Amino acid sequence: MVPALFLAACGGDDDDDASGSGDEATTQEGGEVTIQIMPNGPDPVADFEELVAPFEDETGIDVTVEEAGWDVQFDQISNQATTGEGPDITQAGTTQVPFFANLGGFVDLTDLAGDMEGNYPEGVWTTTQLSGQDGVWAMPWFTEARAIYYRTDVLEAAGLDPETAFTDWDTFRETLQAIGEVPGWDGTEGWPFGQPGGLAFDLVHHVFPLIWSYGGQELNDDNTESTVDSDEAVEAVTFFGQLLADGLWDPATLELDGTQTENEFKNGSLAVWIGGPWTLASVPRTDDENWVDEARDNVGIAPLPSGPSGEAFTFVGGSNLMMFESSDHQDEAWQLLQYLSQDDVQLQYAEILGFFPSTTSAQEERATADENQAAFYEAIQQGRSYAPIAQWGAIENAYKTHFGTILDGAVGGDFSADSVRSELEAAATEANDLLAQGE
Amino acid sequence: MTTITDETEEAAAEPSGPGPRPRRRRGLATLEHTRLPYALIAPAVTFMVLIHILPMIGGLVLSLKRLNTFTFARLFGAPWTGFDNYDTLLFDADNSVHRGFATALGNTVVYTLWTVTLTLGLGLVVALLLNRPVPGQRVLRTLMLTPWVVPSFVMATLWQFMWRSDVGIVNDILVDWTHVVDERPVWLNGPNSMWAIIVPSVWRGIPLAMLIFLAGLQAIPEELLEAAAIDGAGPWRQFRHVIFPLIRPLFAVQLLFGVIYASYQFAVPWIMMGSNPGPHADLLMTLVVRESFSNKLVGLGAAASTLMMIGMLVWVAAWYGAFRRDLEMAR
Repeated sequence: MVPALFLAACGGDDDDDASGSGDEATTQEGGEVTIQIMPNGPDPVADFEELVAPFEDETGIDVTVEEAGWDVQFDQISNQATTGEGPDITQAGTTQVPFFANLGGFVDLTDLAGDMEGNYPEGVWTTTQLSGQDGVWAMPWFTEARAIYYRTDVLEAAGLDPETAFTDWDTFRETLQAIGEVPGWDGTEGWPFGQPGGLAFDLVHHVFPLIWSYGGQELNDDNTESTVDSDEAVEAVTFFGQLLADGLWDPATLELDGTQTENEFKNGSLAVWIGGPWTLASVPRTDDENWVDEARDNVGIAPLPSGPSGEAFTFVGGSNLMMFESSDHQDEAWQLLQYLSQDDVQLQYAEILGFFPSTTSAQEERATADENQAAFYEAIQQGRSYAPIAQWGAIENAYKTHFGTILDGAVGGDFSADSVRSELEAAATEANDLLAQGE
Repeated sequence: MTTITDETEEAAAEPSGPGPRPRRRRGLATLEHTRLPYALIAPAVTFMVLIHILPMIGGLVLSLKRLNTFTFARLFGAPWTGFDNYDTLLFDADNSVHRGFATALGNTVVYTLWTVTLTLGLGLVVALLLNRPVPGQRVLRTLMLTPWVVPSFVMATLWQFMWRSDVGIVNDILVDWTHVVDERPVWLNGPNSMWAIIVPSVWRGIPLAMLIFLAGLQAIPEELLEAAAIDGAGPWRQFRHVIFPLIRPLFAVQLLFGVIYASYQFAVPWIMMGSNPGPHADLLMTLVVRESFSNKLVGLGAAASTLMMIGMLVWVAAWYGAFRRDLEMAR
């Protein structure tokens, strides 16, 4: 059932003499392809259909869009890959790609896309890989990174220069202290800082940039052992928790998830917060009623600060597209993947979603929109992702739980470098148990 | 039904005296008479085997497999590992899943004890209060049933809002209105989180307990209580020596199901606190689901499920031993 054309591209040495080429694939007309996407925006299916309408007109390929919620997509994609029943292409979170690649059931795109590596920033391309295995298991689709959101009016009231307010973690802390001295911003009406704890699925994305900037790592270089209990990590996480212990961080945000905390910034309760690019995209949207005017009109963006290592990092993630091995329409699927990788299409979709495109040139283009987008672009250049191993999802869960416990302890009073170390040692043990899995 | 048929057949066979032929005929006749009942229960038995017994056996098999991130796609084709998963869960002190299992087991015991005790205790108290002639009794009864008809998801989400330390109504009542405590406690994480799951569970469980107790109370003949009163029994002695012995079977059945239901609790902590409710509120079911599906340690998850099932079988056996007499009385 798989067209000879595709076998020529993917099948390896045995298929060298098969007919067809990638160029011919793009000129083939007709056919159908089904893609599964996640709720990427307010109206995900309609937005995507609009995006691919020109592709359908041009190629005659009929694109069917299916939607899977984020709460079920992981199990759904796993089942589709193992049973061979499902769409032709699926969206997957960048940190999920190694798990699915290890699981099997997906096409190795090396022969088709291997030479496209240069089109993407290194941190983005890494998300298509599985450690210890050759292969390109996905095409980057859109990118997100975390940056600091701050209230320009509050910084002004505190007499701070946004240019120097977040250069390193010490100045970050001094900035929060200065904000705490502005009337009303000591926790009575608003808080200097707020960030969700263990209830947020992405807590880890906010802690690791700090650990990386202190010189720590999530795992050792060959991904065989957890290093989350290193001295650097202990120091970094202690610094983070100390913000809570010192009353600079609204403790109530620990009971909220990511979206609820985002709304705390939008409703004017937080002066500083770490978030993704989608919040910036919601600033001009008048239908987003979570914003109060004084917050909406005074949003500033800064890249995450540098740490004692002298370097600054942010988590770079987003979503990739993977092609199922069971697909009967691999030619059409590859044509659609190529279309979605074009700069103009990338820019159009990134604009709809409020994310960043994944190709370098499209990212550069988006950075020219305004100074906040430029700041996000700068943040992405510090982008780093996690070890591309199959067990990462479970390890991330374990880390998240222990980070959450540490932050909770910082509010309860039982907080010190020793308590942080002991919790991180427990996290490392759990991660090492997960790393020790074998066949 | 079968017993009646047997007795009828026995009576019919009696005049011709005992002997091989009549006995054989009786057996055939019994089979003929019981064919219909067997046919009638066959679909139910078939579905029970399909949806209960087979998955249970499947779970047992999986608990003996090394099913993890690297092998779970093979499911039943994964390598056998004997009782390693059980050994890890029960005895491997260095393994983090063992520690998680021990914590979740302890939490589940605490959660179950509090939830069942409070649900049955308060359910009984409310039933006793509503069993008296009070104005608006019917309206009160209907209102009391409201928590029971709220779906778990809605209930847990509502309580999540109510427990919030900054704007939740629980802290508004405790701190701002009644000044019972000075500082707003944190409920959704840390040591208080166990109460954050117990209270909503009790709140939701009381109506059903109340309804069942109330039905039992209303079936108690008035003369019994009058006789006790004439003999000088006050309200407490009436309750202890007349009312409670009569509703004991209802109490026993609710205890059985209450413990099973509470031990298998999943929705409340999962919805309010996420996939890992933390060391103070993680229950066995949240652990099983997390390890099996989030972490793909399916073998360990299946072993933990099997241990839970064995635990419940032991509970049912103990319960049966303790309440056999009540069941016989009820019959």
